[in-house]
Amino acid sequence: MSNKAARNLFIYGSLFFFVIFLALTFDTMGKLDKRAPEITEAVNAGKMAWHKYDCIGCHTIFGNGSYFAPDMTKTAENKPKEYLKKFLMDPRAVNSKAAMPKLGISSEEADNLIAFLEWTSKVDTNDWPPKPVLASAAGVGGKELTGGEKLYRSLGCSACHSISGIGGTSGPELTNVGSKRDRTWLIAHFKNPASLVPNSAMPSYEKLKEQELNDLTDYMLTLKQEVKK
Amino acid sequence: MTIKHESQKIAQNFYTFAVLLFLVQVLVGIIAAIQFIKPDFFILNFNTIRTLHINALVVWLLVGMMGATYYVVSEESETDLWSLPLAKFQFWATVIAVTGVVAGYIVMGLYPQANSLILGTRALNEGREYIEAPRWADILIVVSVLLFLFNNFMTMVKTKKWTGIQGVLLGGLTVLALMYLPGMFYTKSMVKDQFWWWWVVHLWVEGAWEIIAGALLAFMLMKVTGVRREVVEKWMYIEVGLVMFTGILGTGHHYYWIGTPAYWLWVGGIFSSLEPVPLLVMVWDAFRTTRETRVVTNKAGLYYTVAHAIFNFVGAGLWGVIHTLPQVNKWTHGTQITTAHGHLAFYGAYVLLVLAMIYVTLPAIRGVKEFNASRAFQSFWWMTISMVFIVLTITGAGMVQVYLERLMGLDYVAVKATYNLWFWILRAIFGVGFLIGVGIFVIDYFKLGKEPATAKA
Repeated sequence: MSNKAARNLFIYGSLFFFVIFLALTFDTMGKLDKRAPEITEAVNAGKMAWHKYDCIGCHTIFGNGSYFAPDMTKTAENKPKEYLKKFLMDPRAVNSKAAMPKLGISSEEADNLIAFLEWTSKVDTNDWPPKPVLASAAGVGGKELTGGEKLYRSLGCSACHSISGIGGTSGPELTNVGSKRDRTWLIAHFKNPASLVPNSAMPSYEKLKEQELNDLTDYMLTLKQEVKK
Repeated sequence: MTIKHESQKIAQNFYTFAVLLFLVQVLVGIIAAIQFIKPDFFILNFNTIRTLHINALVVWLLVGMMGATYYVVSEESETDLWSLPLAKFQFWATVIAVTGVVAGYIVMGLYPQANSLILGTRALNEGREYIEAPRWADILIVVSVLLFLFNNFMTMVKTKKWTGIQGVLLGGLTVLALMYLPGMFYTKSMVKDQFWWWWVVHLWVEGAWEIIAGALLAFMLMKVTGVRREVVEKWMYIEVGLVMFTGILGTGHHYYWIGTPAYWLWVGGIFSSLEPVPLLVMVWDAFRTTRETRVVTNKAGLYYTVAHAIFNFVGAGLWGVIHTLPQVNKWTHGTQITTAHGHLAFYGAYVLLVLAMIYVTLPAIRGVKEFNASRAFQSFWWMTISMVFIVLTITGAGMVQVYLERLMGLDYVAVKATYNLWFWILRAIFGVGFLIGVGIFVIDYFKLGKEPATAKA
């Protein structure tokens, strides 16, 4: 390859890829507003306050920032508003061990920041951050176990089946079973697995009470997480 | 070896400013490292310290590249700069503007309420990572870069040599100036804010800066080993071409989780996985060129040049590609894994690049043929070994964080304060090791050529 050919390849190749990038950018810009809630005055005022106090100098948001303090994307979804407001205005009054200093955030600014964080928590982020595998499997996160979840444990289902990677691998994975099967199928299957799945090695659970079968089926129907391999 | 054109000496002003900012960057870096263990350790909070740490880095690299460019363009065009007074003015304007911005950050850090709204923009700190500089400073930066580009372009027009090296160098710097603009407007949507922000950050670091690095690498290889221009320039075009072919659409790896459509998972995943390829070609280029040459007088210059190529590939390439696939990045995004990558990438790709340029061009500026390179090697090993360990400790911290926080669901603060504590302590210790290396380098920078070259390295 001559130097001139290499130079032209560099220049025109770069332009080619930049044009594709511009086209994708144009397409993305048309789609962003549909993937996020409406931006109210309070949300925008909250974003202005976010910049004013250089929050990103310690925190991350959408995973981008300084990695020194927790990610804020889903904070409003996970923590009560009352707590957030008090914490923002005087962190160490709420938690004496907090690393965050008192920045002088006013009551109005705190409300706006919470509106802003409620907005970010509702943005479609392609399922980021992911739900922690073990915490989800253990059912923690402030929720009491449902009847179905309790049965799933007491019957030892996880010896053979797995949900979000936790459990055995001798039976099929159940992480997304809720979107694959319906109630009728599941109940019939619990009663007589082999009638629906030829050669199934799963024992029959006909001995369970009607209510228990329903609870277990309810739980199965909540398992709708897409399995990405 | 001496310079052929008097105005090449202007490079030294830029180098000196860069070297001093490098020292400041590493000092505040150590403060930041200690704040991971003890957040209240210093009068300024972490956010201000980190802003200073990274802004000092970006500015000193940029200033170093500017100095190098004045030197290279004058050399390649075989003439003095179009206007030396303009270059001097641009230098001092930059120093004053940077000082003003830093003072603003410190005031804002001490009195957050002072960061008031003036004409719709923040007076002291824009509160946007890396591009915290307020709008008034943005405008000064653009003016400074335009003056700089204009002066170099007019120098090239004087003799019309149009060599590939200076063409690519100026091309990269023009892209750099243009890509600063998408960071200069406000959007109400945080998603759009981050979308355009990545245009600046990614297209600088993995676009414009790599083009500049490719051009400077070609220049240094030619100067140090005496290899033919046609050969280095051809490989330079191939390298920077591949950088752009992979890097432009590789921006997509920042558009996985910020509220952008899912097709970016494909675009970013595929193209960013290819980003290490041009960096590997640069390593091969550096080794091949070096092997063909028997006699090298400037050993320190060669050493730093080859090390730059290697650590550019390891830091920017390997440490980047390990977490660039969406399947992996879903778990690692926003953790210390990114910090580890950032440290090694910037050290390899740009810190060593500017230091290499200093070692390749400074002897000529100071008018010495040979110099005692022992301090150059000493500082290299202090810095490199320390940085490798800094990166390993942060990588370890990141792996623990991903496992405990993302997979097990432990609280962020619990992981940082307890499970990662030893990593922070070790990181701070290696930070001091790095500072020692920088100290040796700074002494060497000021003494180079001013004492007799006795000991042979």
